Amino acid sequence: MAQDLNPIPWGAQDRYQAHFIVKILVGCDDEDYLARPTLQTAGHFASKKVTGIKWVGGELADRLNADETLKTLMTKLSYEDAQIHVEPTKGGVRIFGRWKDSHDFTMTKELFAVYDRIALDIKNMSCSPPVQS
Amino acid sequence: MHDSESDTFHPVNKNEEFCESLKKIGVDAKANPIDTDEAEKENYYSKHYSHTPSMVTNHGTITLKGSNIDVVQIIQKG
Repeated sequence: MAQDLNPIPWGAQDRYQAHFIVKILVGCDDEDYLARPTLQTAGHFASKKVTGIKWVGGELADRLNADETLKTLMTKLSYEDAQIHVEPTKGGVRIFGRWKDSHDFTMTKELFAVYDRIALDIKNMSCSPPVQS
Repeated sequence: MHDSESDTFHPVNKNEEFCESLKKIGVDAKANPIDTDEAEKENYYSKHYSHTPSMVTNHGTITLKGSNIDVVQIIQKG
């Protein structure tokens, strides 16, 4: 029997992700809490630097775009760490980065400051709770 | 002859390991046992995007104090 040239990986992989959860009642439309950055960069490979950030998504993205402190904090991050996603789920709004292997799976002060700032913007986003029928 | 390495090792949960890295940067964090937080019982992704992994392993949560983030959940792909 011929060996499969493109074997499909199975089982748990050495890829980890930390979801930073803000437990709020997602009162307004779910999609309002979606946000992803489009990164402007300079340089290539190891010297690639983040020079600008534009968030795309719902109402939260507009709020994050208006936050100058967040922009300053994010330009200090590496290109890999600056790829942050914000997604709403039933248990709260989740902020997370890319998958990392066990060697790189740690937290830095700079990255935590960015996550904490995004969490503050989420908490400040005022939406009326859903109407009970 | 004795090997320099110890015969025993202490397995550390991934959430406890990540909790230590948070403590090192000055965050007040406490690792929780698996399946004790409501966030672990819900979907981990919003399903608004198509490329989210269908299978993940939950490694428990970490509770934060003095931060805008309430809980950190550790997950593994596959």
